[in-house]
Amino acid sequence: MKRISKLLTMAILSGFFLNSCSSDDDIVDPIEEPQPEQAYSDGFFVLNEGSSGGGSVTFIDNDLQNVEHEIYQQVNVEDDPGQYIQSIFFNENLAYIVSNGSNMITIVDRYTFEYVDRIDSGLLSPRYGVIENGKIYVTNQGNYEAPGVTEFDDFIAIIDLETLEIEKTIETNTVLEYIHEEDGLIYVQKAAFGAGNEIAVIDSNSDEIITTIGTEETLNSFEIEDGVLYALSSNKLEKIDLVTGEPLVEFEINSDAGSAGKLEFENDMIYYTIGNSVFMMDESADTVPEEALFSYTSNSDYGVMYGFEVKNDRIYIADGGDFASNSFVEIYTTSGELIENIEVGVGPNGFYFND
Amino acid sequence: MKITRNYILFLGLICSLPVLAQNDTLNVLDEVFLTDTKLKDFSTGQQVTVLNDSVLKKNGALLTSALNFNTNIYFKENGLGMVSSPSFRGTTASQTAVLWNGININSQFNGQTDFNTLNAGGFDNISVRGGGGSVVYGTGAIGGTIHLNTNLDFSGKTKQDIFFQYGSFNTMDARYKIKTSGNKWSLSLAAERNSSDNDYEWPIEGRKNENGEFYNNNLNLGFAYRLNEKNTLKFYSEIFDGERHFSLIRPSETKTKYQNFDTRNLLEWVSEFGDFISVARLALLDENYRYYANIATENYSSGEAQTLIGKYDLNYSVSKTLELNAVLTNTYTDGNGSGITENTRNIFSSAVLMKHRPFQKFQYELGIRKELTDNYESPLLFSAGTHYEFTDFYSLKMNISRNFRIPTYNDLYWAGAGNPDLNPETSNQVELGNHFKHKNFKFSLTGYYIQIDDMIRWLPSETGMWRPRNEESVETYGIEVLSGWQKQIFKGHQISASGTYAYTVSENMNTGYQLIYVPFHKATGALTYAFKDFSIDYQLLYNGEVFTRSDNNSRYNMEAYLVSNLGLSYNFGKKNTYKIGARVLNFFDEEYQSVEDRWMPGRNFNIYLNLNF
Repeated sequence: MKRISKLLTMAILSGFFLNSCSSDDDIVDPIEEPQPEQAYSDGFFVLNEGSSGGGSVTFIDNDLQNVEHEIYQQVNVEDDPGQYIQSIFFNENLAYIVSNGSNMITIVDRYTFEYVDRIDSGLLSPRYGVIENGKIYVTNQGNYEAPGVTEFDDFIAIIDLETLEIEKTIETNTVLEYIHEEDGLIYVQKAAFGAGNEIAVIDSNSDEIITTIGTEETLNSFEIEDGVLYALSSNKLEKIDLVTGEPLVEFEINSDAGSAGKLEFENDMIYYTIGNSVFMMDESADTVPEEALFSYTSNSDYGVMYGFEVKNDRIYIADGGDFASNSFVEIYTTSGELIENIEVGVGPNGFYFND
Repeated sequence: MKITRNYILFLGLICSLPVLAQNDTLNVLDEVFLTDTKLKDFSTGQQVTVLNDSVLKKNGALLTSALNFNTNIYFKENGLGMVSSPSFRGTTASQTAVLWNGININSQFNGQTDFNTLNAGGFDNISVRGGGGSVVYGTGAIGGTIHLNTNLDFSGKTKQDIFFQYGSFNTMDARYKIKTSGNKWSLSLAAERNSSDNDYEWPIEGRKNENGEFYNNNLNLGFAYRLNEKNTLKFYSEIFDGERHFSLIRPSETKTKYQNFDTRNLLEWVSEFGDFISVARLALLDENYRYYANIATENYSSGEAQTLIGKYDLNYSVSKTLELNAVLTNTYTDGNGSGITENTRNIFSSAVLMKHRPFQKFQYELGIRKELTDNYESPLLFSAGTHYEFTDFYSLKMNISRNFRIPTYNDLYWAGAGNPDLNPETSNQVELGNHFKHKNFKFSLTGYYIQIDDMIRWLPSETGMWRPRNEESVETYGIEVLSGWQKQIFKGHQISASGTYAYTVSENMNTGYQLIYVPFHKATGALTYAFKDFSIDYQLLYNGEVFTRSDNNSRYNMEAYLVSNLGLSYNFGKKNTYKIGARVLNFFDEEYQSVEDRWMPGRNFNIYLNLNF
């Protein structure tokens, strides 16, 4: 929070807009053959947040052979998905692209990336979203005010899936970040940027916060699996009973290399990162691993392990680079062998699988 | 488009009226009467360009436009009137120092001057000096210095100047200035108001510049009183009060605005005794800003810094050809803000300068400066300049200097992030200027090389907290051309022209890539033709393409642009100058941006009335 508000203020007040964007609509890699109708199936999207201009989306097929850059701008000429694109969420055949800088969500066909609609009012620094019960739940970080300036700066916007109108907002007095859905309940991380220790639980029928689960301070990510909530903070991994909110087990993670982050759960394995290293442990293990599964090489000053995902026996890493030029992603096997290094856009921050 | 038609009608009307105009193209190389005497006396080996009052009336009140159309300095502007940062000789925004009557006014917080937070109308002239100047002017004088000057004279005359301009987007530029004096006293007072809805259309269907409105009010005062033959007291004061909304790329973005309220006061006592001239100065600068991150709320972040400067300057003329000068300065700053706990800092500096003209055709100067402060390790700064006149029409200038940019309040004191161990950015630089003069034609060609080390950058530390570090080195070199020409072709027909061109290479020494937003080529031109009371003038600005990506991926370059302005004026005064005029800005309706996604206005118009009496 402090970090971001400082950054924003610095960026604006210093006039040092050492950044760029990609409003260009030229096509970098001309497609040789006409696209089939389902151009973007059997692969995944890399979200590139971009710098001051628009972000972009790179599509990579599952064979890691075909890479298409700026697919949104290719399909929808003279438009871009907005500034600082933060995340994507899906529903049926639609993809929802969240732009943090432009306060909007662009809705596209997830297989063709053709523009469908746009939510562009009522949001304020939106971050992540989920869809449940005919409604879209979106976390918003408001004006990035320092804590205590105003009591309720961050909020969850609840949007009707059909009309795309905001039906309700739930204000909180803490920063909001990730949002997950499980069995009709919406779990919202009330922590980001190295501060915060709570997860709020919203009932998607009443749209009220029904309970709040406490975690260790500096909570940075969480996962839900088989009735267990896995919460990761800088130096601790906790397993918490999803129903009672009681801690089940906790592991200390101590490393000179930095703080733990980016928790993932896949095939009964737990993954997290410290600096440029990936750690893996069995869900039932008694201790955290001492050795990293692997480390990758980064020259980035502030984008090391900017995006991280584990899916179908592959580990995906995005390096933020210098946020002023194209960067790269790397795909590894779950035993830590590099499969491919692929150039993507500016500031890649996430992977979204389209299958 | 009804408004457009009215302007055209108006243009036609004034064309049909009968015509003389003063020469109002850019002056190159001229020396003028200045408060900032160092600019005249200690610029050996460097070039000073003066933008006089009439030039400053051509480009509106935003100082960015006046400098952009008349100098080599490249500006990065986030849309008209928005945040504007200069790159002088390929350097960063905090490596250009702005001097107000000789006092450095770059912000204590970020080390820069935003050129859209100054009103061009407040000053009698603005001088631009290329190259290093830290020995005399202190921090930030690496790429060059920009001098905002108020002139005072004891002519005994009273002159008033009323200027009112109104144009597209409800833009108003009103200026009033009075200069009056007696034998013993002199007064200069200037007041300005500039405002605009700034809601110009974008070259995108259905889009316009949103949330771009701004206004500013400015008051400038100069007063001098001669106590006796040997002693003169002078007082200068400025108040600037401005508010800008920052324009949006998309309507859905959060609207923000920025207010600044700055006051500057300077008291000066000039005393002459024997071969000595002593100048004691006391200056108080106060800068205040408020930034509203969401104008829908009343919450803002802010900063305030007060700077008290005491300066003693003693000049000794050893002989007619040898001058020695010592300058002692103490600068005390007290600043605080939303992200900054209250901090004070004190910097004491001493400088010694020498100018010698051993032969009629040859002069040189030397200077050194050293600062004493707890804040940073202060390097020894120096400068050496020479000037040799080979013939009447050719002279050669050379200057070598070491300059610096000190860490700012943000760098040092930002809560939890400021780094007290920072060193100043330092530059070593050299320039060589060839100057040609033939009758009414002046031409100069200057080559320069600057190496800047210890550039301060904000980067995350091990804990993820962003902190500033001395990180990078940059090498910049290039060529600057300045030229001016004027001639009376027939009786009553006066023509004058001026032009500038800059070729700039500015490379990150770690990567070898050109810095983003530094064009290789920039050119400006101005042409004025006057016949009797009529005058027509044309201005041109060309900025070459710039990289927007640090890896110089040319696919994302910002395109080059060429912008032209055309003006017409008619003087209907007999004894005094009473001018009416009209201007068409961006005559060819060029679609251009200086920063990605930040469109600048297309063709637009204004009319003005200027009374001098």
